[in-house]
Amino acid sequence: MTIRSRIAWWLEEPVSLVRLEIVRIAMPIVVLCFMWPRVTHATDWLGDAGFRVPDLGDDWRQPLYVAPLPAWAAWSVAVAMVASGLSTAAGFKTRASALVFSATLFFGALSDRLAAYSVSKLSPVIMLALAAGPAGRLLSVDAWLKRRRDGKRWKAVKPSGAVRFLQLLPVTLYMASGIAKARNDWLHEPLVLYSQIHGSYQTPIAYALARIIPSWLWTLLQGTVLVFESTAPLTFAFRRTRPYALVFGLGMHAMIGLMFGPVVWFALLMITLLAAGYLPDRLLDRLKV
Amino acid sequence: MRKRSERKAIWRGRASLALRVIAAIYLACIALDGGGCSWPSRGLPRPIAFFTQVSVLFPKAAHATIDYRAEAWVCSRQAWVELDTRPYFPINPDDKENRFNRAMHFFRENRKTMHALDRYLVQRHDERPADDGVDPGERIGGVRMMSLRIPIPPVGSQFERYQRYPLSHYPNHERKYFYHTPESVRGRRCAGGDIVEER
Repeated sequence: MTIRSRIAWWLEEPVSLVRLEIVRIAMPIVVLCFMWPRVTHATDWLGDAGFRVPDLGDDWRQPLYVAPLPAWAAWSVAVAMVASGLSTAAGFKTRASALVFSATLFFGALSDRLAAYSVSKLSPVIMLALAAGPAGRLLSVDAWLKRRRDGKRWKAVKPSGAVRFLQLLPVTLYMASGIAKARNDWLHEPLVLYSQIHGSYQTPIAYALARIIPSWLWTLLQGTVLVFESTAPLTFAFRRTRPYALVFGLGMHAMIGLMFGPVVWFALLMITLLAAGYLPDRLLDRLKV
Repeated sequence: MRKRSERKAIWRGRASLALRVIAAIYLACIALDGGGCSWPSRGLPRPIAFFTQVSVLFPKAAHATIDYRAEAWVCSRQAWVELDTRPYFPINPDDKENRFNRAMHFFRENRKTMHALDRYLVQRHDERPADDGVDPGERIGGVRMMSLRIPIPPVGSQFERYQRYPLSHYPNHERKYFYHTPESVRGRRCAGGDIVEER
């Protein structure tokens, strides 16, 4: 089998759509929790009540200058974001909701560089993938309405490019992140992890661990994370290593969430992607309704 | 003539192929960005490239804990007093995801942004003073902005959990100033000059 035909076979192989539904239900909730401090201060975030970085022309730090919105428009975007996010999670008019949610997230990220993080950049793309795929066919209001209307259910297993994209996304992120780490300090500075757990992100757990974990263990953890990230495309590709990679990934993000305060939403975003993408089919079968 | 359902299937196939190509380009750009390749940022429009810059997370060791602070020039006292910027940046006020911190992180060496930040803080204090550490009745003529570079304690040492202390807690050598309102501007504002006119 050539590489091309193997890729085509992998893309066309039927997959459990529960994977898509896990992302459809959990991701909007995680993203809305991350966005909540912004949404509740919509006029400071998108409007003209707060500080705005002026138009800097060709400055690389400003991807696009978006003029501040009047208060009514800022609140409208915030309300549209929350409503479409909740509607996506509930699976009501799923694809249209996901598309609107994605559009508001794209706008929010571009409008205010200061409040944009990895969650702000990844979430609109993930919502776009949901809108493009067959989301909302299981465990959703749409599925319930269809059953009431014509007594039928949608298929729970079928080929889906959206599922494949959502499986590739975390693995690509890990690999790229691992390369970036190796290119910078992670191979020659032994205490990169330790150096990151101070400051305003520090949680009580991070503080406690910073005081009890010996220096060598920080270095060992750092090396383990680097190996996990750099080799993710292989460890997630092979059936035998996949469960170990999944457990390590979930554990790593759980620790990030517990130790880095506001980074908890990024950790939950990655946990959702990992769980949806790589939980074994036999576990997902139990979720089919 | 092709049947409508056939035409629909053809267009569906084309759309599916287009989405796959876009997805592949997006994932490739994430991978290239992590590898330090500048093709995505040079080849894609900036607003699109922005969404591919997601993989370079904590790549370097921190050599100090960085916090950003401001002081205000109090006209009546002719002195610098710490200005708590949190009331004017209410999103995530207590951690470094605060927008003031982010403005300083990205734009501290960009004069245009620093001037805008200066005007914003002075205007907000003078028009709608909050609990910012400066008496609401006091007019301020300008601001001075800095980073605090708080040393990271050695591994295994006993140290306090991070908390925000007043500026006076930190020695001078841990402060690095990036911006201050020019003296002439402070004088003009203290004399009642309009801040909006400076724009």
